[in-house]
Amino acid sequence: MSELALFIVRAGLLLVLWLFILSIIAIIRADLFSERVLSRVVEKNLPESVSSPTTGLTNVSDFSAAPGSATVVSTMNAVQTTLVVIDGPLQGLELVLDRKEIRIGRAPNSDFVIEDDYVSSQHARIQRNDDGWQIQDLNSTNGTYVDGQRIGAPVNITADMQIRIGKTIFELRG
Amino acid sequence: MANRVRVMPKKRNLELIMLLFGFGLYAFELAQVQLATIFILRPDAWFFWSLPVVAALAFHFVLRFRASDADPLILPITFLLNSLGIVIIYRLDLVKSLSAIDRTVGERQVIWTVVAIVLAALVLFLVKSHLSFRRYIYISMALGVVLLILPLLPVIGKTVSGAHLWVNLGPLSFQPGELAKIALTIFFAGYLTSRREALAVVGRKTLGLRIPPARELGPIVFIWLASLAVLVLQRDLGTSLLYFGLFLVLIYVATGRVFYVLVGLVMFIAGALVASRLMSYVGGRLDGWLDPLNEANYSAVGGSYQIVQSMFGLAHGGLFGTGLGGGLPSIVPLAQSDFIISATGEELGLVGLFAVLAMYMVLVSRALRIANAHADDFSKLLAVGLGFVIALQCFIVIGGVLRVVPLTGLTTPWLAAGGSSLVANWIIVALLLRLSDTLPKAGTVSE
Repeated sequence: MSELALFIVRAGLLLVLWLFILSIIAIIRADLFSERVLSRVVEKNLPESVSSPTTGLTNVSDFSAAPGSATVVSTMNAVQTTLVVIDGPLQGLELVLDRKEIRIGRAPNSDFVIEDDYVSSQHARIQRNDDGWQIQDLNSTNGTYVDGQRIGAPVNITADMQIRIGKTIFELRG
Repeated sequence: MANRVRVMPKKRNLELIMLLFGFGLYAFELAQVQLATIFILRPDAWFFWSLPVVAALAFHFVLRFRASDADPLILPITFLLNSLGIVIIYRLDLVKSLSAIDRTVGERQVIWTVVAIVLAALVLFLVKSHLSFRRYIYISMALGVVLLILPLLPVIGKTVSGAHLWVNLGPLSFQPGELAKIALTIFFAGYLTSRREALAVVGRKTLGLRIPPARELGPIVFIWLASLAVLVLQRDLGTSLLYFGLFLVLIYVATGRVFYVLVGLVMFIAGALVASRLMSYVGGRLDGWLDPLNEANYSAVGGSYQIVQSMFGLAHGGLFGTGLGGGLPSIVPLAQSDFIISATGEELGLVGLFAVLAMYMVLVSRALRIANAHADDFSKLLAVGLGFVIALQCFIVIGGVLRVVPLTGLTTPWLAAGGSSLVANWIIVALLLRLSDTLPKAGTVSE
């Protein structure tokens, strides 16, 4: 084989090898790009499609499927409230508060599971009392914030008060 | 519904296209080797080409039916690395000065590749979800320990150049430690998932570091002692470093505490320094790394001769390499196994070596991406662990050959000759593919 042909073959091999890698990078790029478009679509759709299907999260359908919850719902219809996540990884999620107590935390058996390093296993709980809803911090490491203030004693919460736990911010809507 | 939308609707088709690309590249490499070394195209190239290609295609179709949502890039990249390894090993087989038995390493590598791909496909068939491993974490720990101890047993154990890593199975020999790394990754991931909270407990803060309570250091001390035992009993620094490094990576990912990494590194370096005083082979490796061109180190038994030959080879290759079949990689000892990176660098040059490193990097980044997209701790830790088994092997062995860290014996994943390593690394690929197939479906990942 002539020197020139050998040179072309050698350079060609390196070229094709890098072409392979560049096409892989192009695929990764397309993958990332298409996902960004998709997540925007998801965000837009989320308020209507209430149950965000992220794993580890008790969503609305799980609530109504809980044993005995049907009766609870019927007696509480008058003050039905939803909890809406307005910022954080679960943004757009809505939970119907159809029981007396909602436990929030990283533990998988919480009513509202937040997967976040800044959230304790049993972080806080929201309870219904005569005036409406009350949030209580369960001695969490990083605290629970209502309208920017870290709470010590249980605090009554009303609609449009912003509650922050870890990176998640949510509020109640009546 | 939004969750009906697929991110990449044609994952398997993408994979097929990239695989076909890889098949073409493989044929090109084989043809170049034959033309440059024996000046004709011989029909035995068909043997080298067709068997791995058929196996990889079969694996692709298994994926279509058993894991259709799996990552489309892992298989083509793995195939390309594996086939490049076969090409370089075959090219070294063609060196005429070798004895007849040494000239069949390439053929054995092809057979092992097929066996490894078949076993990986079997893993995909049998393992419906990686979450089932969580129930067996202590069994997998026991399995890992047994696999590590096997080569030390009399009769079946076999010693090659001082290291007790092999087991005789009739005419074959196998390194059970290669499979132990998968079992131990599963154990580490499962164990840290359940211990995560306790280990991440906030302790006193000293010098800007949060120091956890002393009792939480138990596991790290235990793993440290175990990896020192591997170092002393099996006389294998690389394996010991791999297990300990893997545990450090996972404990860091699980807890986010830099403290564990610092303590672990200090402990390992202290242990290795003591070992280098007590065991001559560790000390020799250290001297050979620091001053390889020193006459005393060069001519010592187990000294820097290998690494110096490899440095000359890499220098001969330069930026663009000598081309496949154009260099003299066979004068580097162990060029088909431990020093395959040196042969790759000599014949493909810095440009080609970077291409190989880029492929490893993409592979590890895919593993990390899979980990990131999973919601539960066990899947996250398992994917990170499997990715880092690949990354650490690459770092330890390629870093050793390129004189970034002291040289230790590990196999370069997929490239180096060796059946056990191929089987273990292909099973890692199967597990990563399974992990990527069981991701929460597209549309639920909001990041």
